[in-house]
Amino acid sequence: MKMSKKTKVVLYVILTLIAVYFLFPFVYMFFSTFKSETEAVAYPPSFLPDIWNWQNYVDAWNAQPFGTFLKNSVLVTVGSAVGSMVSAALVAYGFARFQFRGKNILFMLLLSTMMIPWDVTMIPQYMEFNAFGWLNTLKPLIVPSWFGSAYYIFLMRQFLMGVPKDFEEAARIDGANAFQIFYKIYVPIMKPSLILVGVLNMLAAWNDYLGPLIFLQERSKYTLALGLASFKGVYSQEIVPMLCITVIMIVPPILIFLFAQRYIIEGTGGAIK
Amino acid sequence: MKKFKWKTVTPYLFILPWIIGFLVFTLGPLIFSLCISFFDWPVVGERTFVGLGNYIEMFTSDKQVLKSLTISIKYAAIFVPLNICIALFLAMLISQPLKGIKVYRTIFYIPAVVSGVATSVIWSWVLNSDYGILNYLLSLIGIEGPNWLVDPAWAILAVVIVSAFGVGTMMLVFYTNIKGISAELYEAAALDGAGPVRQFFSITLPIITPTLLFNLITSIISSFQQVTLVMLLTGGGPMKSTYFYGLMTYNNAFRHHKLGYASANAWVMFIIILCLTALVFKSSSMWVFYENEVNSGTKKKKRRKK
Amino acid sequence: MKKRMKRLAAVGLVAAMTGSMLLGCGGGKDSGDDKTSDGKVKIRFATWDDASVLDDQQACVDKFNESQDKIEVVLEGWGSDFDTKMTASMGAGDAPDVMYMWDYPTYSESLEPLDEYINKEGEEYKNNFFEALWPYNSIDDKIYGVPVSVVTSCMYYNKDLFDQAGVAYPTDDWTWADVAKASEEIQSKLDSVNGFTLPIGTLPYTLEMYLWSNGTAFVDENGKLDGNINSDKSVEVFKTFQDMEKDGVLYASEESGQTEMLGGKTAMYVDGTWPIKQFEEEGLNYGIVQIPKFEGTEHSISVINTSGIAISKDSKHKEEAWEFLKYWTGEEMNKHRIETELPALKSVVESEALREDPNCAPFYTALDNCAGYTPSSFIAEGWTEVDADIQLAFESIINPSSLADPKEALDEVVASHE
Repeated sequence: MKMSKKTKVVLYVILTLIAVYFLFPFVYMFFSTFKSETEAVAYPPSFLPDIWNWQNYVDAWNAQPFGTFLKNSVLVTVGSAVGSMVSAALVAYGFARFQFRGKNILFMLLLSTMMIPWDVTMIPQYMEFNAFGWLNTLKPLIVPSWFGSAYYIFLMRQFLMGVPKDFEEAARIDGANAFQIFYKIYVPIMKPSLILVGVLNMLAAWNDYLGPLIFLQERSKYTLALGLASFKGVYSQEIVPMLCITVIMIVPPILIFLFAQRYIIEGTGGAIK
Repeated sequence: MKKFKWKTVTPYLFILPWIIGFLVFTLGPLIFSLCISFFDWPVVGERTFVGLGNYIEMFTSDKQVLKSLTISIKYAAIFVPLNICIALFLAMLISQPLKGIKVYRTIFYIPAVVSGVATSVIWSWVLNSDYGILNYLLSLIGIEGPNWLVDPAWAILAVVIVSAFGVGTMMLVFYTNIKGISAELYEAAALDGAGPVRQFFSITLPIITPTLLFNLITSIISSFQQVTLVMLLTGGGPMKSTYFYGLMTYNNAFRHHKLGYASANAWVMFIIILCLTALVFKSSSMWVFYENEVNSGTKKKKRRKK
Repeated sequence: MKKRMKRLAAVGLVAAMTGSMLLGCGGGKDSGDDKTSDGKVKIRFATWDDASVLDDQQACVDKFNESQDKIEVVLEGWGSDFDTKMTASMGAGDAPDVMYMWDYPTYSESLEPLDEYINKEGEEYKNNFFEALWPYNSIDDKIYGVPVSVVTSCMYYNKDLFDQAGVAYPTDDWTWADVAKASEEIQSKLDSVNGFTLPIGTLPYTLEMYLWSNGTAFVDENGKLDGNINSDKSVEVFKTFQDMEKDGVLYASEESGQTEMLGGKTAMYVDGTWPIKQFEEEGLNYGIVQIPKFEGTEHSISVINTSGIAISKDSKHKEEAWEFLKYWTGEEMNKHRIETELPALKSVVESEALREDPNCAPFYTALDNCAGYTPSSFIAEGWTEVDADIQLAFESIINPSSLADPKEALDEVVASHE
């Protein structure tokens, strides 16, 4: 598709305006990470720091055992994302491609699990994980993903519903069974949406705060998000180190996103014709 | 005989992980919370059975329930359509074949990457009526900014503005779907003389209706469950103008320590969301076009030609 | 068929393997264990402090562990969401053995009464703590916690701003009228500086000290609101603040006041002892005096922000927990924490000459003045909901976009609860 020069200019202007709007608070935050606590809250607010104090980052990182937190975060993020991808693909395929008894009821049940707020199921869940002996381990943050979460299953299912059935008909004639069809035909087609599930789940797990807060106890088990929140106490808070860690924490998801983009686009060829 | 049996079992095998997960991780806590909604259940101390007492209290003596419900509905009514439109618009923008679009794509995604705690800290600075950089910038161009987080009339708008920054996830879902549309479809349409607007409405929009449904439902759910943002940004204030239903539930559980009552709150909200979702689903057969309807009996006439 | 079975078996196997691998990872011992691997008694200890002191707390815990051959204390830093986490663990019956505590009215039923333990230590032990602290750690005359530190409130002022405006520094005798006058003078000389800042989010718990200072309280000793919170004296308190705001000499802030003070945006505000460390680190030129008093009263009265530690009733190792509690509230630890917290022990205040330290003395004076007052939350039943309504009433009185009539707003609180 060719675009006229005028269209292009208009698009760039719109894109840039939105980018400025989206970036502004974070650029402001980024610059604030170099300021002293006093300068960060001064008025009129200064945009650029007086002195670029890179030491703030070193101090923030060393203020807590962030190396350990990072390790835990990576474990949780990767562990749950892989689990979600596998389980969402399987379950969504089951819901999207088959007709079976009780399907609608089960699907509504699946959706309804998203609708109960966590605050009331949290305490029974705590008791359950306590009974399993899972408290103060990373298991409550990883294992449930392997059994599918409604959000990602629903998302996958919507993508699968958009794939014409003609694909599998040919394979079925060849005598392939349901799992072969799933594995050989659908998994490749689902790649972009699977990657999307992976990206979204990684981000959610990376930033998850309440789960780790409730289920972890000792600092050796903390994740980055929990360490970040520890800069806030009941009676006090340190803003600058908090912002430094925030900036550091943004980097990995952005890298993953940059990396994943390619696969989301690549998938085009195999998808809907 | 055996073969037939396998065929009936196969779908269940696929959804088995979720069924196990549901039985092990979800069902127990769900039943537990339903049960305690019939109790007066403080965090510590005596627990007494009150039957429907909690539910009755919600709709008779507790005036906050309806107020908070209204606020949440108001928020959802603004948030859901607004965010879906923004997300779709952005997704269209970042799908354009332009140079450097990758950079913009990443920038649009950044706000969704920042954790809730940091987002609220930054925004409470930015929006601070006296010292905030937003009103400072506005003052430079001669506008006296409102007291964003102090004036009840503006606070809910402030929450909407901030939550719009989390649009990246929804945008990405749309984007993945749009990227999956074959270029041939557009080429064919272009040959027929369809402009970009018509292409959007006749090709893009119908194809992405499944993800539109997804985004619609998940954003309805999340808007009713919005807690973290308001808790950190406004604390429900000023003067309870942003005291969302979800925050009320949270406070009943964690501030007033009435777990039974909070569970009743949650179940009422559950019923409301469930009805809304069911409604959306019912209507979806009229506007969501699945490339393949599994129920061959209800095949749509509307199936697109290829 | 066979092939199909094989495929299925393979899928199943892979799933089972990944599952068990995950279950295996994460590892570590079960948290349910009350013994560590080397057979010591494990004591879980939860604190609410932010990261800046956690390392130091860990070092103190380590030191205790080294001195013990039968007890190992494990520190859990719960940070700002202490209350959420406490609700979850208490609700699930999995409270830590030892924990920081302020919300005794809610949790006392799950806490171990400590009177016996304290009595065993002798009169002298108990008397070494400032008397005013005990009521804040007791419910119905039973002690549930031992004070860790003293947190009273005083008024902070920015010396530089006072100097620039040529206004004399505040003194302990200042009334609110003096504050208003100074505030006006400062604001007339300095741009974009507020004279006095009062956070809109001031909690009722803190607000009550202004009522005490004016000779009233939210409730009487029977927990009755009517005639107390809406008494003339109480209304006068709220009206004083509102009038100051209307006159432009009190700034109602959406922040806590601490950031405004640090950023040089306010000349005066009231706070506890927490900001001192930050003010010192950032080199702020500040002074501390008593909270301003009301006309015709002798002195103001501060509230104490309880900071105690308690033992869970369900703890399996109460003796060991008490051992640690004693260590944590003992002289050595009180001295160790001097940089960040004011000692709760008379002997330490004396030996360290804290009454001569300008950063500490005002808070001990406030402590002397406030003996005998108990917050309404410790007296009335089901206080949290009244508390939420008082907060709303205060907000509506002080929020510049509403400025509700104090008498009406307070009457409404009474009406909806009695």
